[in-house]
Amino acid sequence: MLTLKIWIVQALFIFFTTESVGELLDPCGYIKPESPIVQLGSNFTAVCVLKEKCMDYFHVNANDIFWKTNHVTIPKEQYTIINKTASSVTFTDISLLNIQLTCNIRTFGQIDQNVYGIRIISGLPPEKPTNLSCIVNEGKKMMCQWDPGRETYLETNFTLKSEWATEKFADCKTKRDTPTSCTVDYSPVYFVNIEVWVEAENALGKVTSDHINFDPVDKVKPSPPHNLSVSNSEELSSILKLTWINSSIQGFIGLKYNIQYRTRDASTWSQIPPEDTASTRYSFTVQDLKPFTEYVFRIRCMKEDGKGFWSDWSEEASGITYEDRPSKAPSFWYKIEPSHTHGYRSVQLIWKTLPPFEANGKILDYEVTLTRWKSRLQNYTVNDTKWTVNITNDRYIATLTARNLVGKSNAAVLTIPAYDFQATRPVTDLKAFPKDNMLWVEWTAPNESVNKYILEWCVLSDKAPCIQDWQQEDGTVHRTYLRGNLAESKCYLITVTPVYADGPGSTESIKAYLKQAPPSKGPTVRTKKVGKNEAVLEWDQLPVDVQNGFIRNYTIFYRTIIGNETAVNVDSSHTEYTLSSLTSDTLYMVRMAAYTDEGGKDGPEFTFTTPKFAQGEIEAIVVPVCLAFLLTTLLGVLFCFNKRDLIKKHIWPNVPDPSKSHIAQWSPHTPPRHNFNSKDQMYSDGNFTDVSVVEIEAANDKKPFPEDLKSLDLFKKEKISTEGHSSGIGGSSCMSSSRPSISSSDENESAQNTSGTVQYSTVVHSGYRHQVPSVQVFSRSESTQPLLDSEERPEDLQLSAFTYMVLVRWGRGIMRLARKHMMKTGHREAK
Amino acid sequence: MQAQLLWRTLPSLVLGLLFLSMPAMGSCSDKYPELLGQLQKQADFMQHTNTLLDLYIRSQGLDKNGLKEHCRERPGAFPSKDALQRLSRRVFLRTLDTTLGHVLLRLAALEQDIPKAQDLEMLSVVKLNIRGFKNNIHCMAQLLPGSSETTEPTPTSPGASPSPTPTLDTFQRRLEGCRFLHGYHRFMRSVGQVFREWGKSLSRSRRHSPHQGLLKGARRMQLSGRNKRLMPRVQLAPGSHRGAPGG
Repeated sequence: MLTLKIWIVQALFIFFTTESVGELLDPCGYIKPESPIVQLGSNFTAVCVLKEKCMDYFHVNANDIFWKTNHVTIPKEQYTIINKTASSVTFTDISLLNIQLTCNIRTFGQIDQNVYGIRIISGLPPEKPTNLSCIVNEGKKMMCQWDPGRETYLETNFTLKSEWATEKFADCKTKRDTPTSCTVDYSPVYFVNIEVWVEAENALGKVTSDHINFDPVDKVKPSPPHNLSVSNSEELSSILKLTWINSSIQGFIGLKYNIQYRTRDASTWSQIPPEDTASTRYSFTVQDLKPFTEYVFRIRCMKEDGKGFWSDWSEEASGITYEDRPSKAPSFWYKIEPSHTHGYRSVQLIWKTLPPFEANGKILDYEVTLTRWKSRLQNYTVNDTKWTVNITNDRYIATLTARNLVGKSNAAVLTIPAYDFQATRPVTDLKAFPKDNMLWVEWTAPNESVNKYILEWCVLSDKAPCIQDWQQEDGTVHRTYLRGNLAESKCYLITVTPVYADGPGSTESIKAYLKQAPPSKGPTVRTKKVGKNEAVLEWDQLPVDVQNGFIRNYTIFYRTIIGNETAVNVDSSHTEYTLSSLTSDTLYMVRMAAYTDEGGKDGPEFTFTTPKFAQGEIEAIVVPVCLAFLLTTLLGVLFCFNKRDLIKKHIWPNVPDPSKSHIAQWSPHTPPRHNFNSKDQMYSDGNFTDVSVVEIEAANDKKPFPEDLKSLDLFKKEKISTEGHSSGIGGSSCMSSSRPSISSSDENESAQNTSGTVQYSTVVHSGYRHQVPSVQVFSRSESTQPLLDSEERPEDLQLSAFTYMVLVRWGRGIMRLARKHMMKTGHREAK
Repeated sequence: MQAQLLWRTLPSLVLGLLFLSMPAMGSCSDKYPELLGQLQKQADFMQHTNTLLDLYIRSQGLDKNGLKEHCRERPGAFPSKDALQRLSRRVFLRTLDTTLGHVLLRLAALEQDIPKAQDLEMLSVVKLNIRGFKNNIHCMAQLLPGSSETTEPTPTSPGASPSPTPTLDTFQRRLEGCRFLHGYHRFMRSVGQVFREWGKSLSRSRRHSPHQGLLKGARRMQLSGRNKRLMPRVQLAPGSHRGAPGG
């Protein structure tokens, strides 16, 4: 009971809820048509009809209706008020594919409310399908395809229809992913004409293609023949027999075939003439094939009358034709080995293996015969392609034949000339050039008849020896290509030798490249000589291994740090070049590129600096200056010499040299003063008029004699007595002294004597440059000043002493002059 | 006698009217040689036992213990070659169409005894081929001059009788089916020979007047009773017809 109550309450709740929602969802009106599909470019009119109840509730009528497309209000000009409840809107030339159209009302003058909405879909009717064609793959059902025509923008269904005169077949509906083809679901019936067409239909229309009427057997694509096999014939080395199994379609129709074949290593196919295979068959014998050659075959078929389609190609099958005797003699040549002793020569006979198309089978061995002039023939069987034999210096005839299972080739004949044979008659105009990725050699034949030509070539390299390869050409050939594995960017030295009946002719050589490339390295430039405004550059020729081609020219690039680069082209034959118009005292950077026909390569950069002066320029300046200076000096000296008395008077008047004084002459017995009249005359213009000369001859380097020492004692006494008016020697006071002085070697004594106002300095003889003075000489100074640092520093002391010695010697010289003068005067006076 | 003639003629007349009054759907080829060639090739193809009989024998287990030896055509089940050669072209076509209609009915009955789906599929292909053959007969009948000429009697066709009586046991029914199909292939071989005769007369008449030749040929066919030897046919590979129409 309780459950029943709960159920009733729930039911009532659902009922009322549904009612209220229904009220809410009940639209205020509707649009006609409901789901329009419109043709693009056409006109379209929609009508919105309001419900009376809604009109009363909202107090609106058709005038309050406004339309929107994709939320944009449509201008009122497109509206038409049909009556109080209905308003229509018209679109002209619809171009959008999908339009959302809504009917709206404005309630209470301000609130917009959506009444109803529809979606207008636009598109195009289908075009007539064209190019309808069908194919019957053997063992499968018929498939037809067509061109559907323009895009319709609508869902368009294509239906393939087919029928006989007496029967209709089920429609073939296209799948969504393949709308332009359809495979029927019934098996094709051959020899019964069928009519086929396509219907294309969408919401805007239906259109039918042209009908095609055909026999399905004329649309067959047969399965390819299978089990293709190839067999050869021992009787005929030029044929191969093909057999195969035809597809089952040949039970209904006649077949024709395409048979193609190629050699194993070829890429292009040859075809048996179609007229030879124009009817149903199960085998075919292919003729005119090369012996002992592997051929690959394939076959396909189609309906005999050409209607329908070719089958796919069958699987390939191959077979080898039977052997035949070698069709050509091998290429045959020889090399004389260097060792030549005891009247014999070592000759290496060489030959090439025959290519398969000439060997016509497996070459079992070679037979070589050697015949010396007017002697019997010698036979040799060789398995290799070379054979070395010692022969005499005579002329020989060698022959060579190749042998296979079937027979022997013709003999290749070669004349080995006598040792002293002089080869002549070379080919002329030898040329070599690359073409079509091959290296061709061309020459002009000599006037004489040539049996054959031998072409030899090798790669020139600085690192490896020239290993020669060779080939033989017939005597009628004057242009061929090198049949070897040639490499690009390698320099080949090619030699052509004509071979005459009596032996080989002279050889001609040429260098060539299969393909040139830019050099691997650029040349390294350096300076040979650098001048103020020019520099001579030099470089080495590039090694052949890095040339990669013929060096056609060089380009020298040079520049200063701030300047533009200048390029100069130089012929490849040069190895030096002079850069001119350079700026002096400037750093130049120079590099060099070498060019082949295919491009160039820069070498390393080199820098040099031009000098400030040209060679000899400095000498040109310095030498004249020096000469001028020398001349001036000379003139000055001459002038001084001429005016020496005047100069002497003003600059260095005569100073008596104490060292040249003779104490002996200065004894107590001798009047202390000499009346040097002549001296007075001589120094009449100076203050050197009152001079006493004391000569101590052993002052420098001689030990004093006892007489001298004795005199010295006397001198000391005298000196003490004349202390008040004696003057020292040294410094600038030398000229002011008018009396001679003497120094004592006894230091202590000196120190005692100089305890008053006079100090004595120590003069070290020959102290200059580590010379040990032999005698210490003392001199007295009138100065009352201490001896400053010189007393405390021995080196200064030595320097002072040296100075003093210079002055002393200088003075001594002057004194000698004076003395000589006086002696002369004295002599004159005595006279 | 007259009543007997009427009894024998009436069904043929009715069938002929039906045959001629078939609604034309697809268009028939208007090229007589082409159509004749198609009919000839169809007949040549359908005469081979590997298209139907072998399938039936294998499916019914009649290929063991020498049972195949018992599968011989029941005399009178199908018109003989001589009888066919004696017919006028129009009657020949009508007879052919009628006989093949019976074959179709019989094949529908035989389907019940074929358990394998693959064999059934093959059988449906054979039926489709026979329908195609009938379609060409229809088209050929339209090409023949004087299509209203339907007065000739149609030879009695035992094949027109319904399937064997239900009283036969299964083995007998299978054997009967085998005999029937044996007769069918023989019949098709005879049909092929007749069409070959038509082709020969066509090539002869081409040397004179194509249309006249056609008429003469048709007339001669009625009179000719010579038993021509069939051209040797290329032996098909085993199973080569598995991919044949419908295969």
